[in-house]
Amino acid sequence: MSFEVERGKVREFARATFAEDPVYTDREVAVARGHADVVATPTYVVVSLHYRDQREWVAQLGLDIGRVVVGSVRWTYRRPMVVGDMIVGTRRVVKDERKPGSGGDLRVLTLETDFVDATGQIVATEEDVVIERPST
Amino acid sequence: MSGSFVVETGQKLPERILGPLTQADVLRFAGACGDFNPLHYDTELARRAGFDAPIAMGQMTAGIVAAWIADWCGVERLADFEVRFVAPVLVGDTITLTGEIADVASGDDGREVARLTVVAAKGETVVLKGRASAVLAPAMPG
Repeated sequence: MSFEVERGKVREFARATFAEDPVYTDREVAVARGHADVVATPTYVVVSLHYRDQREWVAQLGLDIGRVVVGSVRWTYRRPMVVGDMIVGTRRVVKDERKPGSGGDLRVLTLETDFVDATGQIVATEEDVVIERPST
Repeated sequence: MSGSFVVETGQKLPERILGPLTQADVLRFAGACGDFNPLHYDTELARRAGFDAPIAMGQMTAGIVAAWIADWCGVERLADFEVRFVAPVLVGDTITLTGEIADVASGDDGREVARLTVVAAKGETVVLKGRASAVLAPAMPG
């Protein structure tokens, strides 16, 4: 999926996550700290949910959405995203495992998404561990 | 945010207490991120699923914790952030964020990095456990 880092969306995200640092909302503060413009909050890439069909994607992986929970998420940052950045996210399955659980086998999927800017540099990487509980 | 940032092992992050989280807070995050799963706003559906109130997105709690860490160290210093979801956060819950410096170590690239462990809890119940690394002397941005 691809998206632009947008000023209004960054402000909305900062407010929704109770962020207090004006670097997300005040361009002067951001520029004084060496950025081209206001900076996105650390988990801003979650907005990419707006740009993909979650149900279709879950179905493609053969998962039952009603049994899926996100176990953990890890982000690795190379640089903060800045308003105006054009970001392309590419997600891939890196592990697909079965692990014994109390009510049957759990399917544990590890997904990795690289977020790349217009110059082709990776800005951030997200790793999600998604767990599908056994059917009952 | 260039220059060095001095911290020591065992140092505590300033605690942040948020809440009680309202339905409006959860909807504000839904609008920000685009997650309109009805479990986040339909009380009746949430009850049928076994919750006393609509549940906040895990990503909301993760975002709140990330923003709190970044408010403390500066978003520019954040090198990585990892969360494990332990229990759901419900509308009406008050969450307390606490954390400390686990250690200060040299990263792969030779930069000094503080490793943090953080917890979000409602009362005695842990809802999220996290780890983060903050670069103490980052390269200049740009």
